[in-house]
Amino acid sequence: MPQTEQTQSRFTRRVMALVAIGFLALIAAGVATAWLQARSQQMGNWVEHTLGVQARLADFASANERVETARRGVLLGGGTDFRKRMDLAAGEARAALDDIARVTADNPRQARRARALRDLLVRQRELQLRSISTTDARRSAAQGAFEDDPAVIVTRQVRDLSRSMIAEERKLLAVRQVEQANALATFYAILALTGVLLVIVAAITLTVMLRYTRDLTASRIELRRLNQGLEAMVDARTAELQRANQEIQRFAYIVSHDLRSPLVNVMGFTAELDAARKTVSAHLDAVEASSPELVAEAVRLAVREDLPEAIGFIRTSTQKMDRLINAILRLSREGRRNLMVESVDLDALVQSIVDSLQHRVSDVGAEILAEALPALTSDRLAVEQILSNLIENALKYLNPGRPGVITVRGHNEGDRVVLEVADNGRGVDPRDHERIFDLFRRSGAQDQPGEGIGLAHVRALAYRLGGLIEIRSELDRGATFRLSLPRVLKPGGE
Amino acid sequence: MTNHQPVNIVMIEDDEGHARLIEKNIRRAGISNRIHHFTDGTTALDYLYQSPEGPAQNGPALILLDLNLPDMSGIDILARIKAEGSPLKRTPVVVLTTTDDKVEIQRCYDLGCNVYITKPVNYESFADAIRQLGLFLSVIQVPDIGDAD
Repeated sequence: MPQTEQTQSRFTRRVMALVAIGFLALIAAGVATAWLQARSQQMGNWVEHTLGVQARLADFASANERVETARRGVLLGGGTDFRKRMDLAAGEARAALDDIARVTADNPRQARRARALRDLLVRQRELQLRSISTTDARRSAAQGAFEDDPAVIVTRQVRDLSRSMIAEERKLLAVRQVEQANALATFYAILALTGVLLVIVAAITLTVMLRYTRDLTASRIELRRLNQGLEAMVDARTAELQRANQEIQRFAYIVSHDLRSPLVNVMGFTAELDAARKTVSAHLDAVEASSPELVAEAVRLAVREDLPEAIGFIRTSTQKMDRLINAILRLSREGRRNLMVESVDLDALVQSIVDSLQHRVSDVGAEILAEALPALTSDRLAVEQILSNLIENALKYLNPGRPGVITVRGHNEGDRVVLEVADNGRGVDPRDHERIFDLFRRSGAQDQPGEGIGLAHVRALAYRLGGLIEIRSELDRGATFRLSLPRVLKPGGE
Repeated sequence: MTNHQPVNIVMIEDDEGHARLIEKNIRRAGISNRIHHFTDGTTALDYLYQSPEGPAQNGPALILLDLNLPDMSGIDILARIKAEGSPLKRTPVVVLTTTDDKVEIQRCYDLGCNVYITKPVNYESFADAIRQLGLFLSVIQVPDIGDAD
């Protein structure tokens, strides 16, 4: 059914498309995940970087404060202890600033600030060293003028700058944290979207497949039902046919029997009539001998010619009718005979037919060639009747102008056996190829005795054996009868 | 034939022509016994069993039976004649019919028919067969009804 095929291909296309969409969604989800993962990693790195910068800045700031504190200690007359502490803190601040400069190289604003810081730090160092190396006399002045101390001012500037750097980093951190959160949110969104897509695709696929499976089941049930119906129908038809066939056989049987009965009368009373005619004829002879004038010409004609002629026609016609009835009877009886399926030795069978015909074969100067024949399991009697009819026919319709050659050959064709009876006789006009198998029909010159029964009988037998018979022939080119039978006839198979 | 009582021939044959031909040929064989002809089974059975002149009541008989009768099958008549306890059980029955079906013939003999003859269509054979039957009838011994049972 083309419609089903169309539905099927549409279904396949739909399912394939859905599966493809599902896989595409999965791949997209994978790619997105990988990309987002990389991005979030990057974000994390940046956040970490910012945190590191902040820590370093804090270090720097605290070192700076400690430098200032130590310097004040020195100025207030603290010993070398303060001086050492100041140098240490200054070293730390420088190192921290170096780190900061390095890690903020990517940020031009911070880098500028770092450079400014470095300049300030150099200047601060200079001022600080100068402030502590001044004489003790001036130290007190310096003590009193913290407010004006340039070192303090620079320190303040350093403090401000580093604070603004921290603020900048904090801002960056905030931005990066937001970015990270955004990336994560995008990731979850894509994941959710993919999940939803997958669920939808799965649902649609499942629905389509369920519907298709349901349709399939329904159509299978329908098919089974139809199949069973078909079998029942075939059984019914076969039974009907067999009944019809039996009916015909029975009909043929009854008709031929009932036709026989009147025929007995026709023939019987014709014989009685003939006997009576003979009596009258004898009397007429006697009268004619004694007194011929008493015998009228018409009476003589009636007794001597008309009556014998009429009786003769009645006789030949009834005899012919008797033969026809017998033929029908034989066919019907053959149709009702139970087949005996057995292994048939075709070679021996053909040989026995040839032997039985030997007398006629030598009379007409023909020869019969029997080739090796395949094995066959069938009804022996029926096969024998078919072959003997065919061979007899071939012998009957030879061409008198040339020596007759009749060949019997056979071969296997799949699970069938093909038997051929070929002759070089007068052949059959192609127009008559069907007709010759009909009952009481004959072809060609009617110079041979026969009622047109043989081939009808052959065909009926062939059909009963599950076989086929056909003829290949042209006028005057010989004829080949081709009989195809199942190699093994199933018992009871009609 | 028995010496004390002539054997009646009962012919059950629906075809008048056949009956005439059979009678003619039996006569030609020199048989002069009385022939009672019936064209249907009912009157024939009535005569066989009920009639005071019939074989059941009176004297030996020989039955010529056709199988194709208008009102019943000759087989039924045969079965009735040859049934256990029938007074005509030993009466010879010659089935004379057109049927030459093997099954039918077997069935008739199974039922106890004494001779089965197929009517040949060819008249010479037919006349011959009937004449031979006549000759056969002239030598056959028929039991008295009194002997039955």
